[in-house]
Amino acid sequence: MRIARILLAVSLVFILCANAFTAPSLEKVDRDQLRKTILPKQSESKWLQIPWETSIWKARQRAAAEGKPILLWEMDGHPMGCT
Amino acid sequence: MAGRALTFADADVIKLATEHCIPVASDDWYNRRKRDAEGDFFRAVSNQGPRGNKGVGGSTRQGMYIFTASGKLLGYRNNWDPNNMRWEIRKALKQFAALPANETKPGAVKVPELKASDLDKGYHRPVPKNGLVVRVHTRLIEEDGNGGFTTCSKLPSGVLGLMSSRDHLWIQENEWKALIPTNPTIGQQVHMPAKLAERINRFHLVDNTRGEPPFWTRKQIQASKMQIKVTQVTPTKIVMKLSGHSILSTHADLNQAQRAFDVVFEGEFEVDRQSNRIVRFDALGLGDHIGSGRYTSKARPGRSPIGLVFELIEPKTPKDSVPPQAAREIGAYFGRY
Repeated sequence: MRIARILLAVSLVFILCANAFTAPSLEKVDRDQLRKTILPKQSESKWLQIPWETSIWKARQRAAAEGKPILLWEMDGHPMGCT
Repeated sequence: MAGRALTFADADVIKLATEHCIPVASDDWYNRRKRDAEGDFFRAVSNQGPRGNKGVGGSTRQGMYIFTASGKLLGYRNNWDPNNMRWEIRKALKQFAALPANETKPGAVKVPELKASDLDKGYHRPVPKNGLVVRVHTRLIEEDGNGGFTTCSKLPSGVLGLMSSRDHLWIQENEWKALIPTNPTIGQQVHMPAKLAERINRFHLVDNTRGEPPFWTRKQIQASKMQIKVTQVTPTKIVMKLSGHSILSTHADLNQAQRAFDVVFEGEFEVDRQSNRIVRFDALGLGDHIGSGRYTSKARPGRSPIGLVFELIEPKTPKDSVPPQAAREIGAYFGRY
């Protein structure tokens, strides 16, 4: 009985919301095409050609060992995630 | 996004970064706050630049820095024009070449190992032990006129925001194990752990295409239905179908909401029965979004479609272990409070 009430409540919420906002649907969508559309294009992924470290300390150790400077891409929100 | 689309998409910058430098990317929110050797080192470098000494915490120190292993700053830019960046890197490389051998010779600078116990646990986010990492891509899309979708071609914010975004969803060991039925039968319903469902709703069904996104509060989950059903059972694998529909909104009436996302999703989990592990998880989401956040301004007007792809990955390189954006508040992320 309790489960039935919960299901009824959830359904009512969806019905009420659906009246205000037509629900999207994946039913008639070509999923493979949509997936390809969403995933990053090759042209958007050039920055991934760079072998990024994500630890400044590890980069520091490598820089010391290899005799190179460190190039740090520092952002609010990780440059390789977040957005 | 500007760094990905402009600076680090430039062939010369890629070559300079890869061949002449040790490239590292990091989240300033953690670095400016962490009280450990790594945080101290970063701040000591940053203090030499135009942003100055802001102490521990303080406001942003973001930008592109070039410095030595000993901590001497050679260059700084917070401008993502590749022409400026090329010039800045080359200038810094010249300065580096002019430094004495005790700064530049391989092995001259000694950098000690840092143990896990040396790190500031408040600002260190390793992938959960035996946890799963799911990459989440989100993109603004638009109807193509033939019943399908294509990439969004125009935004009030210009080109930024047209790319596919990326984040990670972390699933803890107890959560993915709870998804694996002991005696699977076709048609069997599998319960989605409540904290995992909440994590997906609050922190991963978001528009993060133009910057750091606002997340949903618990109250803003207006409706959520996630069903998992066993669809295939063989001696070697179990396949389960995920289907769901979530309505996330700043107001119960979506027409009055400042921000809302009405999204459906479908996907599959595959369990390898020998290892008793989830070895594949793919899902696709499609929804209508309205509104902007503080750092995601200039959304398209009104309702507009957004697509999401979730895919389980095996972390192989450092970038695969970057924490979810929402993991800054790790307790909230894992539903501990």
